[in-house]
Amino acid sequence: MKARWKGKGSEAKAIADPMSKIVSQLQSSLIHSNTHGLLSSCSVLVEVDAQLADLLNRACFGRPRITAEKDNEWFQLDMEEAFYLCFSLKCLKVVGEDGCIKSNEELWEYMKSKKAVFPVFYMAYSHLRHKNWVVRPGLQYGVDFVAYRHHPALVHSEYAVLVLSEGDNDLNGRLRVWSDIHGTVRLCGSVAKTLLIVNVNNNSHGAISPSCLEHYTVEEQTITRWNPEQCREDQAVVRI
Amino acid sequence: MAEVVEKKGKMWVTMGIVRSGKTYCLIEETLFLIEIGALHLLDENGICLSLKEVYEKLSDESGCYWELFEIYRHLKSLGYIVGRHGIPWSVKGLKIKTGTCSLQGSEERNELLEMEPKDTSIIIDLFDNMQINEVSPAFDVYLPNSRFRKSSPGDPSFFLYLSRGNPPSKVEIEALERKQGVVPLKFCHVENGRVSFFSFDRVELAVLP
Repeated sequence: MKARWKGKGSEAKAIADPMSKIVSQLQSSLIHSNTHGLLSSCSVLVEVDAQLADLLNRACFGRPRITAEKDNEWFQLDMEEAFYLCFSLKCLKVVGEDGCIKSNEELWEYMKSKKAVFPVFYMAYSHLRHKNWVVRPGLQYGVDFVAYRHHPALVHSEYAVLVLSEGDNDLNGRLRVWSDIHGTVRLCGSVAKTLLIVNVNNNSHGAISPSCLEHYTVEEQTITRWNPEQCREDQAVVRI
Repeated sequence: MAEVVEKKGKMWVTMGIVRSGKTYCLIEETLFLIEIGALHLLDENGICLSLKEVYEKLSDESGCYWELFEIYRHLKSLGYIVGRHGIPWSVKGLKIKTGTCSLQGSEERNELLEMEPKDTSIIIDLFDNMQINEVSPAFDVYLPNSRFRKSSPGDPSFFLYLSRGNPPSKVEIEALERKQGVVPLKFCHVENGRVSFFSFDRVELAVLP
């Protein structure tokens, strides 16, 4: 599927304002302001000024929390997003309820305890983010993530992403039966997205610490339905 | 398999296999043509079998091959050209390896008429050689093409694997892709008479600016 830009001028805007640059500005700004996030259940809450709020919105990290606060805004980051900012971009620190800054290993353990699939999900998330795709949750489409070529305001998401890991230790448990493939592909088609499988292989390195990620490999695969009615050289049914 | 005694019409350009100047219909082709009323199947006495009798004969042997009939009929009705993987359309200029198919046996039967009891043994042999599993493709599929020639069919548009049970794993797909080389693969699933085709393609998303 090709990129579906929303309205005239969106593609030009995206070209003029590459996502890599926006994320880079976010990274600098977070480092500069020494922003700390607060770990809370499955989210990390951050309090940011207007400038940072704008960057978070443009880079598509987190969801703003509507509050009565006047000066600052609060954002709620998902675990993958927070860990990406902490571990990959090294621009955010996260504090626990004890007020102490959590190390990457502590955060990793914590997030694994909340979500067993966190290591492979994180690998898929960071793999796509590194390529400057915008990655958002995909639950409402029955998938793990949706991937956009740029900001969702400018473009429709092209890919509905499912994260699978090699072998029997696949905790995500998707696409094991044909009915799941049928259903997922159909749903993706009806929302104009291609089903993208991100296969994560931990190469027997387990998930004891985030440094294991260095040894993980990722392969991408699409699953598409072929419709023989729509794909014929001559349009007429050959008469027999 | 049935030997074609008399043929009319253009369908034989894309159906049947040719051996020593004679045309033979594979089981799925035979059933397809009988169902649409385009073929009369004769027993050893030259009596035409009814559709009921044909179904009855098949229910003994065919077992789980009904899915292959469904796939064949679905694609053939839409105008695609469907050949059994591993069975050449014609053998002009080709060497048949013994064991590829059991047609060698049929050539000895000069008086071969359709559906003799011993013919059913040919059908079984063909099924065995067909290796209906996920290791070998079931069919070679060509897009509808008025210039198709059995003597030089060219590469099919894709190989079609029948997938039963559970969908193929990534490891299985990779193994199949390595075997088949250039021709694309598709996987087919048949359930409740519904035939669905899927492609599993390796991709690499672009690194965006």
